[in-house]
Amino acid sequence: MTQATYKLNQLQHYYGDKRVLDIDGLQIQKGSITGLTGPNGSGKSTLLKIMAFALKPTAGEVWFNGRREVPLSPRVRSRVTLLTQKPYLLKRSVFDNIAYGLKIRRDRDNLDSRIKEALASVGLSYEGFAHRQWHQLSGGEAQRVAMAARLILKPEVLLLDEPVASVDTKSAGQIRRASLTARKDWGCTLVIASHDLPWLYECSDTQISIANGRLFSTGKEHIIPPPYDLSQKKGPVKWIGTKGKGEYILLPPREKPDGFAVIQQEKIRICREKEKKTGWDNQITGEITSMLMEKSSHHIMTTFQAKNFSLNIRFSPDQAAALKLLPGKRLILMFHSRDIEWR
Amino acid sequence: MDFIVAGFIKAIELLINFDHSTYTAVSATLQASTCSMLISLGAGLPCGFLLGYFNFKWKRPLRTVLDTLLALPTVSVGLLVYAFISSQGPLGQFGLLFTLTGIAIGQTILAFPIVTAITASIVENIDPELKLTLVSLGAGKRNIIMTCLWEVRYGLLAAAVTAYGRVLTEVGISMMVGGNIKYHTRTITTAIALETNKGMFADGIALGIVLIGIAFAVNISLSFLRKQ
Repeated sequence: MTQATYKLNQLQHYYGDKRVLDIDGLQIQKGSITGLTGPNGSGKSTLLKIMAFALKPTAGEVWFNGRREVPLSPRVRSRVTLLTQKPYLLKRSVFDNIAYGLKIRRDRDNLDSRIKEALASVGLSYEGFAHRQWHQLSGGEAQRVAMAARLILKPEVLLLDEPVASVDTKSAGQIRRASLTARKDWGCTLVIASHDLPWLYECSDTQISIANGRLFSTGKEHIIPPPYDLSQKKGPVKWIGTKGKGEYILLPPREKPDGFAVIQQEKIRICREKEKKTGWDNQITGEITSMLMEKSSHHIMTTFQAKNFSLNIRFSPDQAAALKLLPGKRLILMFHSRDIEWR
Repeated sequence: MDFIVAGFIKAIELLINFDHSTYTAVSATLQASTCSMLISLGAGLPCGFLLGYFNFKWKRPLRTVLDTLLALPTVSVGLLVYAFISSQGPLGQFGLLFTLTGIAIGQTILAFPIVTAITASIVENIDPELKLTLVSLGAGKRNIIMTCLWEVRYGLLAAAVTAYGRVLTEVGISMMVGGNIKYHTRTITTAIALETNKGMFADGIALGIVLIGIAFAVNISLSFLRKQ
């Protein structure tokens, strides 16, 4: 059994009075690639900062390689590194930026050749970039330099927070390749937060969704995101499309003022046509907009879209074949409002 | 208009002829200001960093006091220092009145809040991504502090230049604490004030030009350092 690199227990974090993270438990296995998805403001960056030991959680424990650790602990700070969406480059040359981490570790052996190798791993040439100043780089080049500054350290854990969100296609490709090479070459554990679901499903072993600071298993349970209309007599509803018009999802009475409506995948029935007189109080019409095969399990991650509402549903290869799933195919999702939980 | 031109000519003459009173005034100015700047920077940079970097209970009131001290009138500082180091004052036995050391103490009181307040503002405005980056690259506390200071070095240089400008051009402290004693505690600014009072405008202008020259030389040197 592989050892867990991370174990998070009863983790909570607040900014002022606002709770931004509330995680009962999470384990990240050594050498794995974990995809982290969720809307903006859901708590992804906060979680990654805590995992990078750059932020102390308000409550809870972070265990790293079997030991409880805290920010700036010498045992972790040279083993975990985080690349943010807009990384800060130090006001010095590219060479000095990449060498910074090694210099503070007093590791100055073969700096030139190692920096050359790190730059090459992100598709930049030593001759063209090493002696440029920080302000002489484009956004994509700066991101790749920041990535090289982390890869040269050969970290045990590489945390990537939206690493390709604000860079061009070429830079994004280089960063993706470099991060996957890190696992291949020295068994680096990766946690990647990204909105780029196709890439995330393609490269990651497991995916976790985060919403309102809470974790959900991607493809096994689904968040029905706010806003919720609480003014209807029949109960709270989530409108599909324009408020007050067309289809809606009927929700059970709300239990928590700031809760999220969640439905388990096993409670959802997928059909080709609506069924009358069957007692399903939620029947949502939509179509499949994308299908991706998970690398590890060969399951099909399918995006179901109904106007502004979408769900990522995970099908086994047999289920996908039985339903004759294809992109563009019209489907009906049916589920009972009583099966929806508030969390 | 003629006396201004005459002032320029006189300035050149004084400098070329190594006029003793001019050079002693320049020397006194540089000694007192350099000494006060070294102490202000040595104490003000770490204090400013602590004030800007950390959050603690009395931070806001302390910043308000410090910001108020930025506009400290030099005569008030002179008066305060005079009261402390005069023979009747608590530090009277050290014989600091009418010495360059006394002037340096007063100028340090003037420069310290400037260095501290500007440093604190600069550190407060450091990009939060910087600390995150340093932690994620494995930096410890000492590395974080040193690298943060190095990252804002141009701002700190500006703080030093601002404080030096204030120290170099002040009259109140030098006049009250130094006593404007020729060949001893007479600085360029007190000499200008004296010469102007005597009606010797040309001499005053000459010394003024020397003072501007020093300020210019300091700025050129710092600008050169910045480019390096």
